[in-house]
Amino acid sequence: MTSPDRQQRIAALRDTIADIERKPALAEARVRVEAEYGRFPKFAGGLLQEIFTDDCRNTGASLGFALAQMHGLLTASRMAVVHLQLADEAQKLGLPYGPGLAHFGLDPGAMILVRPATMAELLWAAEEAIACRAVAGVVADIAGHQKLLDFTASRRLSLRAAEAGSSVFMLRYGMQRQSSAAQLRWHLLPTRSGHKQFDDRAPGPARWQVRLERGSLIRQHAEWVLGWTEHGFSTFAPRTGQQSRPATPFPRAVTGQLADRLSQAG
Amino acid sequence: MLSLGNWPTDYLKRADPTLAAPLALYEKIKGGLRIVALDSEASKAGITLGQSLVNARALVPALTAREINRPLLEAGFADFADWHSNTSPMVAVLDDVSSFGDLVLDITGVDHLFGGEPAMLHMALTRLRLLGYSVNGAIAPTIGAAWAVSHFLSSRVVAADGLIGLLDALPVSALRLNEQQVATLAQMGLKTIGQLRQRPRKPLQARFGLSLLTRLDQAYGIIEERMTPRLPVAEHHVERRFADPIALMDDVLACAHDLAIQLAYRLEADGKGAQAFHLFLYRVDHKVMSLSVNSARLTRDPHHIAQLFAHRAERLSGEYDAGFGIDMIRLAASSLDALDASQLGAFSADEGTEDLDQLNDRMASRLGTMAVLRTQMVASNMPERAARLVPTQAGKPDMASSRSFTRPVRLLPVPEYVAISAEVPDGLPALMIWRRQQYRLVKGAGPERLETEWWRFAERLELVPPPEPKEPEPGKEPDPPPYIPDLPLHEPDGKARDYYRVEDEDGRRFWVFRLGFYSGPTMPSWYLHGFFP
Repeated sequence: MTSPDRQQRIAALRDTIADIERKPALAEARVRVEAEYGRFPKFAGGLLQEIFTDDCRNTGASLGFALAQMHGLLTASRMAVVHLQLADEAQKLGLPYGPGLAHFGLDPGAMILVRPATMAELLWAAEEAIACRAVAGVVADIAGHQKLLDFTASRRLSLRAAEAGSSVFMLRYGMQRQSSAAQLRWHLLPTRSGHKQFDDRAPGPARWQVRLERGSLIRQHAEWVLGWTEHGFSTFAPRTGQQSRPATPFPRAVTGQLADRLSQAG
Repeated sequence: MLSLGNWPTDYLKRADPTLAAPLALYEKIKGGLRIVALDSEASKAGITLGQSLVNARALVPALTAREINRPLLEAGFADFADWHSNTSPMVAVLDDVSSFGDLVLDITGVDHLFGGEPAMLHMALTRLRLLGYSVNGAIAPTIGAAWAVSHFLSSRVVAADGLIGLLDALPVSALRLNEQQVATLAQMGLKTIGQLRQRPRKPLQARFGLSLLTRLDQAYGIIEERMTPRLPVAEHHVERRFADPIALMDDVLACAHDLAIQLAYRLEADGKGAQAFHLFLYRVDHKVMSLSVNSARLTRDPHHIAQLFAHRAERLSGEYDAGFGIDMIRLAASSLDALDASQLGAFSADEGTEDLDQLNDRMASRLGTMAVLRTQMVASNMPERAARLVPTQAGKPDMASSRSFTRPVRLLPVPEYVAISAEVPDGLPALMIWRRQQYRLVKGAGPERLETEWWRFAERLELVPPPEPKEPEPGKEPDPPPYIPDLPLHEPDGKARDYYRVEDEDGRRFWVFRLGFYSGPTMPSWYLHGFFP
């Protein structure tokens, strides 16, 4: 056995170990990304994504970001979106509103609103919905800290999603991060809207600032300011003013590998 | 016809075995406490119905007296009646005289399953007597005759040819008449039904009303008497009886699956599918539990049906109580319609809508029908009315309208009160306080004025004042005044809403509205209604 051969094998093994460490036994569901540098990537189905915002006040923005990603996942055979929300959190977070969805570019008839009474039922409904081949994605709106939604539960969901090929978006609120098996975790901040034609004072097209807290994408690019148009995302240069806000317990975005460790410890 | 004369006391004794034997129930009638129900020992001791409680106590010092609880007894009897549907599908409570105690079973075409009419009557009576109910029964061609026989004679089967002779000898009160009618008949000297039947009909109708003749004709079968079955009669049902009662939910569900397969064969033979399925569990101790599931589309797929029942059962795990066991299970299908066999495989279009419907069924069966919803658009300009949430099983969604107003993606079910200040009264909002937090609003668009739908509030809209009545020209009739409905005048000022889209300095976008105008008599109030993406 020659020495370069051995080195190649060791390198290959190291890669495998790195994969295993980054996503325990989820190598088959690695983030498949098609994007060029600077643009916001387009994710394929089968991912569990967590979208964290700091407060329940930002519900509009986080639903908007999830639906904007969902827009690219809807196809003729996968035409349904399932929205899950605990029945007693409707007044806190607001319910998805049909005419608003139509204005956003989504068929309101395609969205099924499920309002279970308990978290156990919500998780059951999420699993059932993921397994259905007509469902493009599941949006789970969870306001508070839920004990049942632990690493095991989210691991189950992510395995199901990887198997069935439909996406899960967990909309979470607050500074706290529960451990989870999500492939991607976003931290979302609302951002001033774009320019509205003919009216400077009116709110324009929606914009969000997202930062990847967990999961690694191409070249470790982890922060975008996104705008929403009918044709998809557009990206803008990040505003410097908002970065200095103490938004998360982490001073800056942690890399994917570190986030994995943190979540498993916590 | 089964008549349980002592049902109230028997029922209470069965529910609470510690109740001592001479038991009477009393009720407050016209200021006095009067006995309204007795058990057999109390009546042997000489107590009669209608006696006052004090007299009865003096007669039998050991008497146990309870106040009657009619709703409880009615509910108990309804359960008892449902349970009897294990002998015949058509069971009704005859509530002409009392709301409990009389049970009618339509046994047409059923009796051969129990070895003939006498054997069936014997079976029905003995199984109740063994449980401690005093019961009298009769099988007769008409409901009226069966009631008369079961109340006034011993239990028997009455054949059609012996009906007239038997009824003629019975007293008139066997016709389910009210007390006044019976008293008047006694004054006239008419004691038996036979005497009454000989009389000319027209004077009787003039004196007693039509009800007497109706009862008479119903008893003799001249006109048909209808019964209202307690449970809807299912066109297709399959059932299984157990030699030994079962209790575990898993056993019940396994049996439901077997029954669903049987039902599927029957439905397939008829080319039918169903949308609602009901599982009736007959408990040994006279209760029926029912589980119902619905399907969004016609189906007869046994696997799907069994799965729905499994999910439905999971939801009631706490409430499930098999008592002393379940000795019969029936699976019935309703909302039937034609469902042709469909081809699977090569040429079938592989679309996911069926999967989606099945997913909705599963979620609705476990979470409840009102927990799985879909948006239905309504032609209305009030935002909360424009989209209605309906159960997904209620039908297909209608196509979305092409109107594309700027609307928020989330709406609060109830608008929340906010404090808003603006630079000038009718200008854009500048500062908002919501849930005790302050928002500095930097952008805003509006107002978009949405008027109330005055026709929904039973109000009258008056856009122009009605014309003054003109002086009639001499020699002509004055014009009639225009019709004005007697409704309050619609006041647009109080209820119109001005909606604004606003954005705060951090980029949160809200939909707020102002109720009322600054020019109105009261200060307007502001509410937050939705969130933009």
